[in-house]
Amino acid sequence: MKALIKKEFTLCLHPMAIVFLSFAALVFVPNYPYEVIFFFSGLSVFFITLAARENGDATFTCSLPVKKRDVPLARILVAVMFQCALLLLTAGCVAIKQTFFSEEMRINLAGNSANLAFCGFGALLLGIFNAAFFPLHYRDPNKVGSPFLVSTAVQFVCIGGLVAVRHLPFYAPLTLPDPLNCGMKLAVLLGGLALYAGMTVFAAWLSMKRFEKVDL
Amino acid sequence: MYALETEGLRKVYPHFTLGPLSFSVETGQIAGLIGRNGAGKSTTLKALMGLIASEGTVRVFGRNFSEEEHTAKELMGYVGGGFRFYPDRSLAAIAKAVAGFYPHWNGETFRRCAEEYALVPAKKVRELSEGMKIKFALALALSHGAKLLILDEPTSGLDPLSREEFCDTLLALKRQDVTVLFSTHITSDLMRVADKILYLSDGTLLADEPIGELTARYRVNVFASSEAAAEARAIGVKKVKNGFEGLVMVPSDGREATLDEIMIHLECAKKEDV
Repeated sequence: MKALIKKEFTLCLHPMAIVFLSFAALVFVPNYPYEVIFFFSGLSVFFITLAARENGDATFTCSLPVKKRDVPLARILVAVMFQCALLLLTAGCVAIKQTFFSEEMRINLAGNSANLAFCGFGALLLGIFNAAFFPLHYRDPNKVGSPFLVSTAVQFVCIGGLVAVRHLPFYAPLTLPDPLNCGMKLAVLLGGLALYAGMTVFAAWLSMKRFEKVDL
Repeated sequence: MYALETEGLRKVYPHFTLGPLSFSVETGQIAGLIGRNGAGKSTTLKALMGLIASEGTVRVFGRNFSEEEHTAKELMGYVGGGFRFYPDRSLAAIAKAVAGFYPHWNGETFRRCAEEYALVPAKKVRELSEGMKIKFALALALSHGAKLLILDEPTSGLDPLSREEFCDTLLALKRQDVTVLFSTHITSDLMRVADKILYLSDGTLLADEPIGELTARYRVNVFASSEAAAEARAIGVKKVKNGFEGLVMVPSDGREATLDEIMIHLECAKKEDV
């Protein structure tokens, strides 16, 4: 697995995957739908997968001494590394914003405020992307565009839902700046992370199962 | 000992079925896989490498491929129709990535192969000619000590001199006890290097025998009429410019049959049967 992950970084990595990590800083933009940060993470997975397809990566990798089912797992693990890095960077930017910015700046009128709960929702959005994209892609590794369209469509519906509920009264405690309602926000964060982990494990399991049946 | 054994290897597509195929290649042998386009050569080689999901058993040096995929692949080197991967990466970068997969990778062997094949490690894959791509793939396989090479039409697109060099390389590998199974349409290459022939036709194995035995069994004869050909029990009779040509079994008269002629007439005979 170590060699597979190393190969992902040396031969398959698209430079935009690193560039998109910097989009975590979008939380500093006032009144902006910060959830789109997590869409860019999906875009970086799309670029990596597209480049891999164009380079004949699946056939090449499967001819190396690896188990066929480990090939999608390595790709998903690399995606998880980038997603965790994005979550950490976003959390870092959120912490800076919550510590140093004025209260007015810390409330987002265009969507969820950049706070603890937001990071939980971000994890959820990443998990949704993984659960939709990878199993669809590994059913037929020649297809990258349609799995991306489907997964981002689902992601955008969820983003739309999150932006919409932000204006409902019951949701108000989650939009307040930290450390207000910290317990509730922490629960959302942990719930988001748990769902992310669950959906990613499901994505990996289904992708590995499907890829084994694929004819390269 | 067998380097490669298959039992009941089978792959079913909606409009084509390969097999079931059972054949073996002895250690140190060079085996040629021949057959017309669409006969199932590439499918067979991909099934051997586990690139496609298939039924049956494949054993590599006695190891069951599906149970010991990792170990079996360490002993194998696969080149699928030239090296079409990562065109914008340098040979050195690819070799470095590949090295991580093999505990017995020998950097010195790679350096020596690169030197011998005139490969420049800093070059990108897309800068290589077809012949050089094959050599690069061979260099990778040899550097991890592959004992069984599976090559899918490695000589297609190569000029005669490059093909000659390739054949020389295979013969040198044979001397090192490396086993080779390669598919090709260029039967003259097989006549030069192959020990045995696996002849596929519409997914079934028509011949699995030493090349000498296969070619020694047939003669080619030209008859004045189709009736004369039928009387001589000629196989796969087809009209040619000076009469009707068909295969006849030794000891009948006729000139020596080439692999191409054997293939053509056996395919004709099969078509007649259908």
